[in-house]
Amino acid sequence: MAKTASQAKRPNLDSVTTINQDGSRFFLHPSDARGRFVVARRFVAILLIVIYAGLPWVHINGQPAVFLDLFSRRFHLFGITFAAQEMWLAFFFITGLAFLLFFTTALFGRLWCGWACPQTVFLEHVYRRVERWIEGDAPARRQLDAAALSGNKVFKRILKHGVFILFSGAIAHLFLAYFVSIPQLYAWMTSSPREQFGAFSFMAVSTGILYFNFAWFREQLCIVICPYGRLQSALIDEHTVNVAYDERRGEPRGKPGTEGAGDCIDCNRCVQVCPTGIDIRQGLQLECVACTACIDACDEIMDKVKRPRGLIRYASEEALEGKPTRFLRTRTVVYGLFMLAGVAVMLFSFSRVQPFEATVSRMTGQPYFVTDDVIRNQFQIRLVNKRNEPAAFRVYLEGAPAGMQLAGWGADAMQLAPFEERTRPLILVQPREDYTGRARLEIVVESGDGDRSLRRRAEFVGPDPRVFQ
Amino acid sequence: MSSPDKNRQDRDDIPPGATLREHVYDGIEEYDQRLPNWWLWTLYITIIFSALYWIVWYTFRAVPSDEERVTAAMQEIEARRFAMVGEIDDDTLWAMSRNPNVIASGHTVYRDQCAFCHGDDLGGGMGGGLPLDDGVWKWGHAPVDIYSVVRDGSPDPTKGMQAWERELGPRRVAEVTAYILSYHDPENMETAQDSPGRASER
Repeated sequence: MAKTASQAKRPNLDSVTTINQDGSRFFLHPSDARGRFVVARRFVAILLIVIYAGLPWVHINGQPAVFLDLFSRRFHLFGITFAAQEMWLAFFFITGLAFLLFFTTALFGRLWCGWACPQTVFLEHVYRRVERWIEGDAPARRQLDAAALSGNKVFKRILKHGVFILFSGAIAHLFLAYFVSIPQLYAWMTSSPREQFGAFSFMAVSTGILYFNFAWFREQLCIVICPYGRLQSALIDEHTVNVAYDERRGEPRGKPGTEGAGDCIDCNRCVQVCPTGIDIRQGLQLECVACTACIDACDEIMDKVKRPRGLIRYASEEALEGKPTRFLRTRTVVYGLFMLAGVAVMLFSFSRVQPFEATVSRMTGQPYFVTDDVIRNQFQIRLVNKRNEPAAFRVYLEGAPAGMQLAGWGADAMQLAPFEERTRPLILVQPREDYTGRARLEIVVESGDGDRSLRRRAEFVGPDPRVFQ
Repeated sequence: MSSPDKNRQDRDDIPPGATLREHVYDGIEEYDQRLPNWWLWTLYITIIFSALYWIVWYTFRAVPSDEERVTAAMQEIEARRFAMVGEIDDDTLWAMSRNPNVIASGHTVYRDQCAFCHGDDLGGGMGGGLPLDDGVWKWGHAPVDIYSVVRDGSPDPTKGMQAWERELGPRRVAEVTAYILSYHDPENMETAQDSPGRASER
């Protein structure tokens, strides 16, 4: 059988291990690695999963910590609420985040992939654990793959895929909770799928995609689809710290006791544990997600043969040649500056966000009205309270010509409920005897405590003043 | 670009089973490896999808186009509006004007939108609106007349009463009309004056 024959497949630099010559998939069964990095990564993964799962449940200022409310176009982030009009802020947030990623990549390679990417977190620490628990270790899983259909195989497969679908459904629900909040999600979950057909199909499709991804697609996402992995060669250089094999120390390979051999005993453990099917001893490759499994695997072997650990370790190319790694380089400085620029602009623009919005427009109909004693212009003012708390606003005129008044707006502040949006007429009147022609003025909207105000320019129009003389 | 070497495929640095593409650019050569099958399947599925899409969309027109959907939605809105207006007559407006819930919501609309011109107590205001409590009705004293002035605006465009239906919707137009009527009663209204001639009015 092709599958058993390919168990001896040796990774090479000319083709992707997980794709066979005929284009079919070579399904990897990485061995279990044990060691300090595995423990540390599992700890980080559990922490991240707790954070991902907890954010929609934790409430800050009366709203979930993260609630991207698409229906009412309000975005609640850690107690601050943003309106859809503030979407432009996301630009600085996202570019800042991108340069943070570039910066860490230039310094330490693909830390993100190995330690924090949801693909790795869920695949390595949830789905592969389930697979390990149900189907056994790597040789047992390969045997099961090759085995003829039997009751045992069917049972294990159904159990495994059942659990996979269950977890995928849970992740899909969690994902949706970020956009609709837990109570709404629960209301949908407890009603018939026919009533919530849109939400139900979204959930079914996302569950299907997650299941496909984590049950079968796996490392193909990192190798073929993920753009970040493809950017590596542009972001790193010889001073970047990567997961690397110390060739000077390890080569030539040989069994312990062989004359003139390096430290690598060619046990192939680093290849067996690799979740993307590469041989790290061939150097840095685009498939490598820097998961550190090979570091732990090699350290374990080095301990056994009583040689120093770190034949595979976090090291830069320069360090492997015995030279010092420089962290302060043009590349890191430039990425760092871009990152800081992003952070600075982000903080600046976030601090400039007004908690309310006001727009003034003319009412439909004629631009002005003349009565026996006054000239009248009719506007409408739309006030939006963008915050999750009641707010009071005062509206007054500034730079208005003599005698002009704001009809009907007393000194009382207007009260707006949280997130309320209200449109009110705003009528400007000026006695005929004071009228001297068109005038420009400002309509000022001031928040109740007087510390924020918005100014909107308006033009008061009327007939040629000579008609009144 | 150097000319391809005829015997390139037989070199020993090429792994068995691999073939090279014909081109060489600056000494860089490329393997002719098969794409992953799953990748090819994404192509096949899009081809199948496009065929189905063509049949469903263009041959059978099984799915309404955007234009048809917009037209249908607009027709539904119109139908609802007419249904709403169809129910509105003098008697229903009078009945609404005696319903405390309707008066309450009508009052909210009045306070937010009308009071600037017509005054907090309907007595006319600084913004230039006519008094609504004096039993004099410029554009007709029947409740439906008042309703249509609120809905469509003043028949005299020089007076500044805009059409409010677009802003308030038919329900709230009816509610605010009912609120105004709550200050009056049918008997007095019958004897009320219509004053279409008050052209000099504010």
